[in-house]
Amino acid sequence: MSQTDQYRFQVNLGGMIDILANHLYSSPRVFIREVLQNATDAITARKELRKVAAESKVLKEDKTLEATASESNNYEGKVIVELSGAGEQQVLMIQDNGIGLSEEDIHRFLSIIGQSSKKGADLLASETSFIGRFGIGLLSCFMVSDEIVVLTRSVKEGVSMEWRGKPDGTYTIRRLETELPVGTQIYLRCKPGSEFYYEPAHVEESLFYYGALLPYPVILSVDGETKRVNLPSTSWMQDPEQLRSRRSEVLDLGYRLMGERFSDFIPLRTASGRTGGIAFILPRSVNLNSKRLHRVYLKHMLVSDKAENVLPEWAFFIKSLIWTDELQPTASREYFYENEQLDAVRSELGTCIREELLRMAEYEPDRLQHWIRLHELSMKALAVEDDEFLRIMHRWFSFESTFGRRELSELIREAGGRPLHYTSTVDEYRQITHVAAAQSMLVINGGYIYDSDILEKLHWIDPNLQTERLSPEEVSLSFTGLTQEERENYYGVLRVMDAALQPMRCRAELKRFEPASLPVLYTISQDALTLRSMENTVEETTSLFSNVLDSLKAGVQQNSGYSTLYFNLNNPVVARILEATDTQMVTAATEMMYVNALMMGHYPMNRSELGLMNRSVLHFINWGLGNGQNT
Amino acid sequence: MEETIYELMEQAQDMPGGAAKLAILEEAVRLADTSGLKELAYEIRGEIVDCAIFNGYPLKSLIAFSWQLGQFDQNPEEYDADELLWNYKWILGKVCSFSNISKTQIEDLAEDMRRRYAEYGYNERPYYYYKFRIAMDMGNLEEARRYLDTFRLIERDSMSDCEACEQSQMVRFYYLAGEDEQALAVAKPILSGRMRCAEVPHVTLSQVLLPLYRQGEVDQAKEQHRKGYRLVRDDRDFLKTIAEHIEYLTIADPVQGIEVVERHLHMALDYESGLEQMYFYATMVSLLQKLDTSGEKRLIRLPASLEWGKEERTLTEIIAYFRPLAESAAADFDRRNGNTFYSEWIGKIVQTA
Repeated sequence: MSQTDQYRFQVNLGGMIDILANHLYSSPRVFIREVLQNATDAITARKELRKVAAESKVLKEDKTLEATASESNNYEGKVIVELSGAGEQQVLMIQDNGIGLSEEDIHRFLSIIGQSSKKGADLLASETSFIGRFGIGLLSCFMVSDEIVVLTRSVKEGVSMEWRGKPDGTYTIRRLETELPVGTQIYLRCKPGSEFYYEPAHVEESLFYYGALLPYPVILSVDGETKRVNLPSTSWMQDPEQLRSRRSEVLDLGYRLMGERFSDFIPLRTASGRTGGIAFILPRSVNLNSKRLHRVYLKHMLVSDKAENVLPEWAFFIKSLIWTDELQPTASREYFYENEQLDAVRSELGTCIREELLRMAEYEPDRLQHWIRLHELSMKALAVEDDEFLRIMHRWFSFESTFGRRELSELIREAGGRPLHYTSTVDEYRQITHVAAAQSMLVINGGYIYDSDILEKLHWIDPNLQTERLSPEEVSLSFTGLTQEERENYYGVLRVMDAALQPMRCRAELKRFEPASLPVLYTISQDALTLRSMENTVEETTSLFSNVLDSLKAGVQQNSGYSTLYFNLNNPVVARILEATDTQMVTAATEMMYVNALMMGHYPMNRSELGLMNRSVLHFINWGLGNGQNT
Repeated sequence: MEETIYELMEQAQDMPGGAAKLAILEEAVRLADTSGLKELAYEIRGEIVDCAIFNGYPLKSLIAFSWQLGQFDQNPEEYDADELLWNYKWILGKVCSFSNISKTQIEDLAEDMRRRYAEYGYNERPYYYYKFRIAMDMGNLEEARRYLDTFRLIERDSMSDCEACEQSQMVRFYYLAGEDEQALAVAKPILSGRMRCAEVPHVTLSQVLLPLYRQGEVDQAKEQHRKGYRLVRDDRDFLKTIAEHIEYLTIADPVQGIEVVERHLHMALDYESGLEQMYFYATMVSLLQKLDTSGEKRLIRLPASLEWGKEERTLTEIIAYFRPLAESAAADFDRRNGNTFYSEWIGKIVQTA
């Protein structure tokens, strides 16, 4: 006996099946997909065999190519699914007229787990004309049956064989006396608890779900009644442009397959023709974060109804049906590998959608406008990435502005050749909107997602479209300044006001502006706003962090500048403050105006500002009571 | 008022991370503050910390976190300690990006985190791991190497960063140290897809490009660039990673590099943290110099938000504008870090005039 003995791993088949059922596949229902897949592979294999045979015949007998074609064409694949029995005696039979298995094939494919009908290559990664891996696929049937019986006869040998497998890993093989038709039949007896998966309605639905696009008949037979389950014709898969002339049929298909009533769609096709599809336009607005769930068929079989990565990110207004023979599915065959091929396919499909939208812009602007109104965000997302698209579409995009929500073409007209003013945040927009509106000044709110990105890019697509970012401080440009005389008169008061506001790093300005009912306007830059929130936080945090924030303040302070409190001379109260001679009075009034502006703008006040308010209120009460006594 | 705040929060929830979402959250927090709703304000700030840190607004994140920490210390029983402690790491991972924060302050923060983790029963793996990262951020590679050996000996617990993140930081170390073979070896489980998370392989792929390229694996480098750039290109959070792609393109494909620069310059311009901004400016200057000396006359489209860029500018002018910005930022970092790491790095990639 040698020192080292070699052993072989023992695999517990029961445990393995549990892994498949509970972890690899999303639902036991996939056994239908697996048996359909095996049948499809068998039919494909038989077709290829006929082609090869026909070709060698051609070589031998020098026949024409048409003869070759008809030779391989006059065979038609077919799958018949039969349900019989009731309750625990229920049996599901799947029969194909594909290539069948020889005795050697049975040993190779049915009896060694992990063996694929494709020889040699990497089990999961290789691209082949079969996507099935017979062994593993068949195992999935143990999720719904305690015994799998396979009857088969290979096209190559005449022998009819029976294989019976059990979930404990044992199986038997025997030759049959009777002669079976060429092909394979699989019998599954219902496992207690799996009755649901044997219900005729469920079986029919699953067959349609996975095999709707199979290019040969899938026939379901229950109690002697037979019907075709999958689509009768899929000729448009070769040439998706045909779909345009079959509108109602396509929309029906959309309802049957995607469960939603669509009213419009875009045919998809890559240049190679290996991937095609139908992009249904969603009839409702979608949330930006909603999942993009596309339904993808690989070599005619459903791989996934939740593939998110087959269309570009921006296409979130589309729910699509895709068929392909060039993408590589993951092990569970429910998603696709993110590789260069997928990248190329995704961008080609994106181009189809984009070009259709551009075509609409030229020939069917009403149709386009309808969809833009519903899916503006999605289209804006694309426009940010794609200059050409932006150039064509920008005029239809709408923006919130001081003139209301308007399409950009209208806003451009309103601006009459002057640059379009926009703010880059909602916050800045709110700070200035009422003043701008009162003065009929056109300002666009660029604070919503994609909006300022688009406004920033406009001048690249058309040099005549100038945009200018407006910060709140710049609103003052449109204010009316004071006369020289007013300036001189109010110089002293203004200095008192400045002094009062100085501790809050704010300065006072005197202007005339509309609406007159607005006494003051407080404006603050983004940096100054950050600084404010830092200062307020310093009061609330631990000493270590307040120390850190203090250091950071130094960096922000450099470019933050002062906030500005504009006093409106058109406002009667402000006019009276300016006439006041009592310095203390002016100071208190300025402080009150300041805290009032903060409150109106929902700016939280820090301790010193709260103290300030307190002081001024007391001051006014005191003063009011005093005045009352005097008169 | 509370109703308005909840409405705003709901609105924010439906939005992808970014400036627009932050603006809404900030408005909500201002309303909560002015109404004195402390717990609600705490909750919203949690959202701000999260949204800001992963969308390139580290300063906003830091401010919101500081407030939360102060509030937590006053009423520790009111709030979730685990979440706060977990977020502390994010903050610590960003503090080096601000040259105004001193070395002592950074060390104090790390010690504060260490103390708090110990107090709640977590071990020191995150502490040493962050010391390792901080040392890298500060360009102290020998110190980083010591911490690298320390943190890996401590068991992982629920406060530890995920395996993929830790592995990715190790790749970064060898990448910074110029040890190409080691970098590629450590990157293996990430490149094979075995280790991954929300930020890995995004931040790792850019760090294998030059090592691959230098080892003659040109096609592989190209493929990893394609993959990596796609992952980060729409995300402000990855400005530094994008800069690393530019660094690679400068050598491998400068003309393609222009597109990357054009696409991201506007992000760099209003970036909240100086370190990422410096990376971007420096690699961009290096790329433009290469094109300029090769006689490339193509114009760069500068973003409208850059006032100076409203007129057409030559490559030479753009270089002259951004180069001093990168250099003075590097000098600030070196002063804080007490070494010459970043100035030397810029000196290496930027040609002397």
